[in-house]
Amino acid sequence: MGMFGAIDAAASGLTAERLRMDVISNNIANANTTRTAEGGPYRRQMVMFQPRNGSQSTFSQIFSQQMEAGSGVRVVGIVKDESPTKKMYDPNHPDADKQGYIEMPNINIVAEMVDMITATRAYEANVTAVNAAKSMALKALEIGK
Amino acid sequence: MRIDPLQLLPVTGRLSPQSSLPASESDKSFGHFLSEALGEVNKLQSDAANAGVRLAAGKIEDISEVVIASEKATIALQLTMQVRNKVVEAYQEVMRMQV
Repeated sequence: MGMFGAIDAAASGLTAERLRMDVISNNIANANTTRTAEGGPYRRQMVMFQPRNGSQSTFSQIFSQQMEAGSGVRVVGIVKDESPTKKMYDPNHPDADKQGYIEMPNINIVAEMVDMITATRAYEANVTAVNAAKSMALKALEIGK
Repeated sequence: MRIDPLQLLPVTGRLSPQSSLPASESDKSFGHFLSEALGEVNKLQSDAANAGVRLAAGKIEDISEVVIASEKATIALQLTMQVRNKVVEAYQEVMRMQV
């Protein structure tokens, strides 16, 4: 944590939320995708976040980690949602099976919209944190004026 | 009754400067620290300029990266200016001294 510790942490949050937004947009775009390269319908993707402070092992490293603030968030990976897909009756569809059903992605548009609002608000919160840290630094420069 | 004349006491060990800093740190001069800090500010400035160029070239995905870099450069430069103002102020204060 140097001079810009708070700004760096909030900047990592901005990057992470932007990636979450990318993933949500991709989910919405693929809400009706019935075939993928691996076969089967598209599956909903989710991002996994983890605090960014490295993997400490020795006692002194863990101790110093306990004594200072972390340094932001980091994306561990993008995972697939393995919940069951929806079946829809549409015998004219080229991907329909013998009974006339097609497998649709396990995406709920309403849930994706709610996730999108969450991501937007979280991004805004990080921007507010950056601005607060910046105005604190600039206030400190006014000491003695 | 005998009164001792006033005399100057030798400055004893208690007032000697305490060297709490490690030897490597105390060896460095003020100018060294100053040039180090200026180098850091310069690095932040060139980082911000670099990010701007990459954004213009379309090589950057994250706009916030560019804005954060330029904000850091701004704050660092303002801190530099405050230090410089203090130094100039001190110099002028000395030059105003009556001799």
